[in-house]
Formats: sequence, C-alpha cells, structure tokens
Amino acid sequence: MSELEILEGGAQTTVQDYPGRLGRLADGVSMAGAMDHFAFRVGNALVGNPASAAGLEVAIGGLRVRFDADGVIALCGTPVPAKLNGEALPAWEAVPVAAGDELRLRMSKGPGMRAYLAIAGGVDVPAIFGSRATHTLAGLGGLEGRALRKGDRLPLGPVPGGSRDRIGRSFGPVPEYPREWEIEVMIGPQADPDFLTAADVELLCSRPWLVDANSNRSGLRLEPFQLEWARSGGGIAGGHPSNILDDGYPTGGINMNGDTAVILGPDGPTSGGFVVVATIVHGAIWKLGQVRPGADRVAFRAVGLEEALELDRGLDARIAQAA
Amino acid sequence: MTTPGRTAAFAGHREAADGRPEVVFRYAGDRFLLVEYGPMEFDLQLNFRVLTVNRRLLERGLDGIVDTGPGLRSNLVRYDPSRIDPSRLIAELNDVEDSVPAGAELELPSRVIHLPIAFDDSRSREAVERYARSVRADAPNAQDGTNIDYVLAYNGLPDRQALYDEVLATEWWNAFTGFFPGLPFMYPLDPRYALFAPKYNPTRTWTAEGAVGLGGPCVAIYPVESPGGYQLFGRTLPIYDLAGRNAAFREDPILIKPGDRVRFHRVEEDELERSFADVREDRYEYRIEEDPFDVERWLEHCEAVREEADANRARREAAAEGTPVP
Repeated sequence: MSELEILEGGAQTTVQDYPGRLGRLADGVSMAGAMDHFAFRVGNALVGNPASAAGLEVAIGGLRVRFDADGVIALCGTPVPAKLNGEALPAWEAVPVAAGDELRLRMSKGPGMRAYLAIAGGVDVPAIFGSRATHTLAGLGGLEGRALRKGDRLPLGPVPGGSRDRIGRSFGPVPEYPREWEIEVMIGPQADPDFLTAADVELLCSRPWLVDANSNRSGLRLEPFQLEWARSGGGIAGGHPSNILDDGYPTGGINMNGDTAVILGPDGPTSGGFVVVATIVHGAIWKLGQVRPGADRVAFRAVGLEEALELDRGLDARIAQAA
Repeated sequence: MTTPGRTAAFAGHREAADGRPEVVFRYAGDRFLLVEYGPMEFDLQLNFRVLTVNRRLLERGLDGIVDTGPGLRSNLVRYDPSRIDPSRLIAELNDVEDSVPAGAELELPSRVIHLPIAFDDSRSREAVERYARSVRADAPNAQDGTNIDYVLAYNGLPDRQALYDEVLATEWWNAFTGFFPGLPFMYPLDPRYALFAPKYNPTRTWTAEGAVGLGGPCVAIYPVESPGGYQLFGRTLPIYDLAGRNAAFREDPILIKPGDRVRFHRVEEDELERSFADVREDRYEYRIEEDPFDVERWLEHCEAVREEADANRARREAAAEGTPVP
C-alpha cells in the first residue's frame, strides 16, 4: 500500500471527506467533513475518485508532503503558492505525481482560507462511524483524530483505473472568493415572530458582518450586534431571550449565544440551549470554508426552500462537469 | 395555545388534540427540519413523546432521512432533499404523529445502567483548582477547590451528604445526547430531587473523563477529557470507548442512549480508580438491565410525592435567590 509522508503539517491540515459523519446525530456526533465541500468534491472528481474518498483540508497552507508511489493529485480551494519538486503546480487540475515527488504549499494570502488536496485512491485511514473525516475536538477520524504533523504517514487507497486518463484535465471557471461574502440562508428555525421581531430578521440580513479572528471549524463568531428579541427572557430555559430548552443544532445554523452570533461549523456541537435564527443552506455552506476570520465579512441573503434546492442542484451540476 | 407565526421558518403545525401535544415543524435550512412539541416548559412527558415518535419514524426506514437528533422537547430531522422531497417528509412526519396516539408512550423501551460514583473526587477537584488558578479565581462556584459547596448553597442543602443522598435517590433519565459524542443529558425522574445550578462563566478548559456535573436542571457525564461548564460533584466510569476495550463498548462505543436511565451507587474513590482500570482491561462488567419504563407508575409516583417536591422546590428557589450567579 502506498503512503503519503507528511514532512510539515502546516497551520492546520486534517483528513476530511464528504459529506462527513452522518447517522449519529442522536449520539451527539458532529458531522465534520470538508468545510468547503465544493472545492473538495471538485478535487475528487478531477482525480477520478468516488465522492466518498477522503483527502486533505489545508487551512492557510504550510503543508509539505512526499509521495512514495506514482499517482494523480488535484489542488483546489484558496489560491496557495504550490510547488511540485520546485515546479509551480497548477490548481484545479489533475496532475501526475511520481514516487519520491515532494509537494510544498506556502501560506495562502487569500482570498479564501482553505486548500484541498485530492489524491487518486483517497486517504485510506479507518472510517469511524462511517466517515474518515477528522473531528479534532472529539478526537475522531483522520489520523488519531488530530491535525497532521511532521513524520505522519497516511495510507493511500489503490489508484482508480481511470485516474491516469484524467491527467491534464482542469476545472473552470473556478469560484471567486470575495472579501465580502453573500451567503444564502433560510430564516429559522427560531425566528420571527415567536423568537425574533421582523426588524431583527431584517437587521440580520441588512449588512455584512465581520467574522471574528476567534473562529474555526466549530464556529465562526460574528461582530456584535443587538437584536430587539420578541421575548423578554428565555422563560424556564434562562434569563436571556436567546435561551431555549435544548434542541438539536443544524450545521450552518446562526446560533445566538446571548447577543453573540456564532455560525455553527461542521465541527460544532450537535445540540444546545440557544436559538438558531437562520441556517445557511447546503448550496452555500461551502463558503464558510473560505471565509477568512478576522478579515472577511459575511452578508446573509434570505432564500426560500426552492431557491436553496436550486442552488444545491447548480453546485452538483458544476461538480459533474469536473468528473 | 396560539398558532405559531407563519413566517419563513414555519413548515407546518398540528394543534394539541386528544391528549397529544401541539407540534410545530420549523425549517432549519434545506437539510434539517425541527419538530417542536408542546409549550416551552420543562416536562419530561414531552421528551417521552419525542422519543416514542422518533422510534416509530426510524422504524419506517424512509429513504432520505439521514438521521435524527432528539432534544428535550424537539426532534431535529436531517434529510437528503435529493432523496425525499421536503413536502413529502412533512407529510410523513404528520403521518407518524397520527399513528402515535396519546398514551402510546406509556411504556417506553429503556435500560437501567448502574454506575458507581465517587463524590468529591480528586480529579474533579483538580479541574476546579485549575480553573480557579488559570481562568477565574473569584468565581463563586469554584472556591476552595470544589463546586460542591456552591451547589449546596444554591439548592439550600444543609451538607454534602444531603446532596449525595439526592443524587443517589433517583434514577436519571437520559433525555438526549449531544454537545459531545456520547454525552448524556440526564434529568431526575423523582421530582423531589430536581437539583439546579447555573453553569460556569466563563467555561472550564479541562474536565476529567467520567466527571459528573450539574448544569441547569440537568446532570451530565463527561465521556472524554474536555472543556465544560457544569458544576462537578463526582466521578464515575467511562461511558465512551472508541477502542472497545470493554465488552460494553464492542457493539457501540457509546454506552448511554436517549431513553436510558442511570442509577448511581456510591463508592470510595480508590474503588472507582480500580474499577476504571478494570474497565480498560475488560475485567469490569457493567450492570445494565433491560427495563421498560412505566410512565403511568412514574406519574403516580410524581403525584404521590408532589407536596414534598413542591416544598423542596420552594426551598431551592429561596436559596438560589440569595446565591450569587457565576
């Protein structure tokens, strides 16, 4: 079995997959998985992997790896200066690698936040609860449930039959990563008029919010803003109108912890006692993976269910073009 | 009960009828639907309904339902809209509600899991001491290396033994699991022992595996070393083991499921430590009984002890009023 040797782990590199760890919501297991599922899925399609294959999510950059067998890779996501044996590596393209080749990513200055390395055959760590995705908080999945570091060796699966035929195949147009993101949400589950006022919903979608530097795969914290709230308190659940008796949390939910809004990321908690005032739709949630904390702003645009599903189908169609 | 506001988040509504609680369906994005039961009140009967309907729903094996996450009085249904149309999903959920009459939840499949507990253990003290040292020295809940005295003050209990007696006197109902894989959120089935405590502010950065704590009306066991916000009062055995080192975890690394009950029995800390090591070596056998939960008998018991429960609640509320919140 071939292996990928980690020479430097970079800022935070983890094994991820798509759609992540499903089926265990009742046990409190977060889904984890590629935060930008769009770039991740395009990468798998480019190298001829099945959609379930695991790859690497590289936050910002700094990853250096060595291959010990011939294969095919694709680097997608945030533009990051990358060299394969000293030669510039084209992004969003299926590229051959040979045994002994060394890939080096420098730090991405953005726009965007995360690069994705797809490797034909996928990273073949054991699946935990049906997924190879790393959830560092719970120590689940990936390699020992943690970010990768120097000296790690990742087992790779057998290269699929058609992968070599894909060499040179590229994807485009590539998604644009702005500094100010428009992110589609569906209002709710706890919105107006029962929990928020109509003015609160309007405020939420009225302007871009700075994403706090203190953000990660669990949650993206937004700059403070003050809601009116429809209730004077949380009743039995607590003094603040953001308090409710504990509910399950949807991934991508905009969770009000008191008056602080936190977008629940793929590693976020599965339940809690605060309202979720709006939820990022699946066709837009990939953007969270490219939002740069401390620098980028996010503006929410409310959509209905039909538009949300249309958005998702549009993504699927674009990914199918890469296959 | 007024009809909930029919704005963007609203996906459907069922009036309370024939003894069944009101149900509200709310969109939570395009891949989740939140089903809420009854008024926002603390009522374990709503949780019984949640778990009963949830079981019936899962038994249908509908294609497109990915999984479900019960809460205290809600269920979060994760679905794949490419496999089940949301409107059909709501129709199916309505159909399941129709098929579960009031009273269907009067006997719930459940297990009693017997766990030893060492009160005021050294690992919990270590967590509190670390907190006072490195996070917040003046926290009223973290004085003298323990949260226990704060829990006593907040609940108007005369001494530690009184707290331990209450914890041991009731079965703890696991209403749902969340926050962390395998972390049970447990509520006392005997209303006389409805302990309450505010959570840490800010939260604690470290908690030992197996620590037992109280936050709000809820008792939790920490499945792994982790941050946390509950007031710690003791420690029990592992409830989560991915490596399956003990037979209890071979089939499923998560021990306590929604609808299970935990009954604690007191041991000294050295015995707990020995059992902890025995769990790892597969020499300890967890005592787990299949024991359906008889809701009617429970309701009768609640009624029989109502006066005492009310008096205890009044005592707690009076004590809480004079106790600083962290």
